[in-house]
Amino acid sequence: MSGPRVAWLLLAAWIAGVISLGVWVQSELVVGSDLRLFLPRATTREQGLLLDEIGEGPAARALVVALEGAPPERLAEASRALVESLSASSEFRWAANGDVPLESFPEDLLPYRFLLSPTIDSRELDAEYLHGELVKRARDLSSPAGLVLEPLLPRDPTLEVLALVQRWQPAQEPRRQFDVWFDRSGRRALLIAETVAPAFDPGGQRAALAELERALRGAGADGIAMTVSGTGYFSVLMEARTRAEIGWLGTATTIAMLVLLLVAYRRVGSLLYSALPLLSAGVVGLAAVSAIFGSVHGITLAFGFTLIGVAQDYPLHLLSHRHAGITAIETARRLWPALATGVASTCIAYFTFFFSGVLGLAQLACFTVSGLAVAGLTTRFVLPHALGAGAPDYGASVLLGRLWTAIAGLPRPRWAGVALLGVCALAFFAARQPFWENDLGKLTPVPTDLLEKDRELRAELGTPDLRYLLVLDAVDAPDALARLEQLDPALVSLVGTGAIAGYDDAARYVPSPATQRARQARLPDATALRAALAEAQLDTPFRPDVFEPFIADVERARVAPVLTLERAAATPLGARLGILLKSVDGETRALVTFTGVRDPAALRALADSDGAIFLDLKEASETLVAGERARILVSLAIAALLLLAVVSVALRSPARTLRVLAPMALTTVVVLAVLRATGVSLNLFHLISLVLVAGLGLDYALFFEHAADDASEQRRTLHAVLVCSLSTLMVFALLAISDLPVLRAVGLPVTIGVVSNFALALLLTRPDARLESHVAVHRGPAKTKARR
Amino acid sequence: MRILLALSVCLLSPRAWGDAVADPESLIHRLARTAPASVGFVEVRYSSLLRAPIVVSGELTYLGPARLDRDVTAPYREHTAIRDESVSIEREGEQPRTLALRRAPELRGLLTGFSGVLAGDSAAVKRSFAIAAKGADDAWTLELTPLDPGMQRRLDRIVVTGAAGEPRCLLVFGPHEAATVMLLGAAALNLRADVALAQLLEHCRAE
Repeated sequence: MSGPRVAWLLLAAWIAGVISLGVWVQSELVVGSDLRLFLPRATTREQGLLLDEIGEGPAARALVVALEGAPPERLAEASRALVESLSASSEFRWAANGDVPLESFPEDLLPYRFLLSPTIDSRELDAEYLHGELVKRARDLSSPAGLVLEPLLPRDPTLEVLALVQRWQPAQEPRRQFDVWFDRSGRRALLIAETVAPAFDPGGQRAALAELERALRGAGADGIAMTVSGTGYFSVLMEARTRAEIGWLGTATTIAMLVLLLVAYRRVGSLLYSALPLLSAGVVGLAAVSAIFGSVHGITLAFGFTLIGVAQDYPLHLLSHRHAGITAIETARRLWPALATGVASTCIAYFTFFFSGVLGLAQLACFTVSGLAVAGLTTRFVLPHALGAGAPDYGASVLLGRLWTAIAGLPRPRWAGVALLGVCALAFFAARQPFWENDLGKLTPVPTDLLEKDRELRAELGTPDLRYLLVLDAVDAPDALARLEQLDPALVSLVGTGAIAGYDDAARYVPSPATQRARQARLPDATALRAALAEAQLDTPFRPDVFEPFIADVERARVAPVLTLERAAATPLGARLGILLKSVDGETRALVTFTGVRDPAALRALADSDGAIFLDLKEASETLVAGERARILVSLAIAALLLLAVVSVALRSPARTLRVLAPMALTTVVVLAVLRATGVSLNLFHLISLVLVAGLGLDYALFFEHAADDASEQRRTLHAVLVCSLSTLMVFALLAISDLPVLRAVGLPVTIGVVSNFALALLLTRPDARLESHVAVHRGPAKTKARR
Repeated sequence: MRILLALSVCLLSPRAWGDAVADPESLIHRLARTAPASVGFVEVRYSSLLRAPIVVSGELTYLGPARLDRDVTAPYREHTAIRDESVSIEREGEQPRTLALRRAPELRGLLTGFSGVLAGDSAAVKRSFAIAAKGADDAWTLELTPLDPGMQRRLDRIVVTGAAGEPRCLLVFGPHEAATVMLLGAAALNLRADVALAQLLEHCRAE
């Protein structure tokens, strides 16, 4: 017979297939880290803007850097060197430390100063104004500033460039020492650097931080301590911590798992082969996601591997059920109804995530469904060929037999179930914390002391408030600038009333073409200006002809084409303009950022009256999270119904269906109650964990139910479920004691769930011990024979 | 510029002076003042932008190293406070103006030199300037030439004249015929408003 040869060929082909698929995945897989993948599609305009701003917004990208540990002058030098090298770096869009060298004003833009500054809006460049200015300049000349100003005067006797540079400074300037920003104590030099990578791109942020370190070393800043803060830095920090934690957890659980399985099965070969289903599941799952979606989110991977961890149970059932006189292939065939029901119902349940409207969850569905299906099929059709004969029969175990009898003898009063539900209800409603966690930030929580430090540094720097934005959508850039100018008086009055401390928008740097043209119209022509200057100079000590360069500049400003944003973008202003104004789908979107918002309601009222959108990022993100949760809950409800349907069809009896589903349903209630009682507000991670718990509970119950009539099968099932639940418990109990809230959110529910599932499956699913012999008689001869 | 150079060469030519002073360092030590110390001044500003020099008068107060007040009282009022790295200038009816010294190497040079002389800190002066002294005890000249090329472009040199331990004039020569002559204490008396630079230099040298 060529049977065994075919079997080995099949096994070898399978392993080769998995390996080559793995190699393909390795080369193709792109792991993304954009948190937005796990957020639902925006349903409101505010949410759309939020999704644009999260991680990409100006505030989220800006890293705050503090330098300390040296005399102020050295800190200032280091700060300048740092800004210089960061401005040239490809990892950063711009960096600022308050240092605005006059020379940075582009030479060819100098004539534009009269179009960019509001000076001539309220006055003319006439003899009276010029006379006043020249008198001041004469005094400047004989002041200590004279040496500095003298070279500027022929071209700019009104010192308009200085006025403009001053106007462009942030509304709330930090303290300055040696020309750069310092904190109030004067001990820390402060600067801001905006990364090219979005905040939620730990890879890009890591590169940016490395660049920052390099730049500091390049600045020769020995002994200077650098503190970095900001969303991007936090994402790198949290990723590193999670990675480190998962690293040791992974090692610990792998060793514990190996020990447990060796103790349980005492066969190294079986152990190795038992990894095949999970391995196949992982590789096929990744390949499926990669093929369908192109990239996979880091969270999908983490959750996905957590969820398909249940596939490790499949081969364990097979191993536990092997015994003499029957081939592994036959064992697999007999287990298949229970296994198939479990795999199919879990797959169908997860499949509902595919339609949740959240891309990350759709990826998760794709990964788990394909992975679990492959794991089930591997366990049924491939793995048995690898397992030889001569395994120990756990059906003959005296210890397991006694254990089973002891459990069977336990009283199972109905009031206990009612009492359990009552206790759960009490825990449920007595808890005072909100039921749901709406704060997006809590998904990857940053230690409070770091957040505190970040707030403090940003307050010192007066950086824009992270939370509020005003958004204007316009047809093009000139339109956007014009609308910003319309808004300006209202914003100025809000600063006046103290509702906000300051604001920033693109029109502060580049006025609309209309405004620039109006200013051009107010500029005198060369003849008129020359006459006015001559009159103004009469009783000043200045020589008659020294201001010809000034007259030439004004003439150039009068006839030049207005300064466009495209042209301004090529200047040092470009970086700031790029944040405040961008084109989105052929339209132009202008942002107004704020500092020191004390009255958000006033901003909202202003936005409403001017057709702008007031964006409260915190509020929008909370409604977004709530919306996402609603979608997940609907998915879960549909999943529950589908699961019920699949199990009912497979078991063909309402009583059996109830026995199988009761432990799972009750466990969900128990887990929720324990979470509530321990002060946990539920988030996305808890919900996904509950799905895993339900899947585990269903499997345990199905196998107990399957073995209900046969004492040996009962012992083997008890062995299998014991090993399965112990191994799962080990892994998730370790996660539950982790420092990281994300891992705890997964570990705690599953730990409670595994214990509860196991206990309840034993108590509720297996039939009464008294009935055992009767049922056995009614079943077919094959199983009776097997028991002997 | 050439005229200025010629004039200063004339000013510094040894034949005009008596016994040679020892060395610039001991001269700087002799000029040291203990803070606070005040002296009246008249300052004449020459520039290629100007038809006639601008003359202002007031009081100079030395408050310690790198701390100096300059108060103009006529023909208008102006208060300048120099504190370490920043200079703030206030004038009645105008926004105060703050300058960072780092931005203005010529100004920093001037103040380092000046403050260094008043503190008697020849080492501080020598960090930024080449120093030379000429003349005799009863009429000497101390000349500071900036070492830094950036400063050189905007500050030609600083010259202090005086007799015994008393400075008489502080002269600052910039590029393009820019020059400031500050007459201190008694030297400021009896000065004609329309005085030409040549006459002024003579005045600084005279007893």
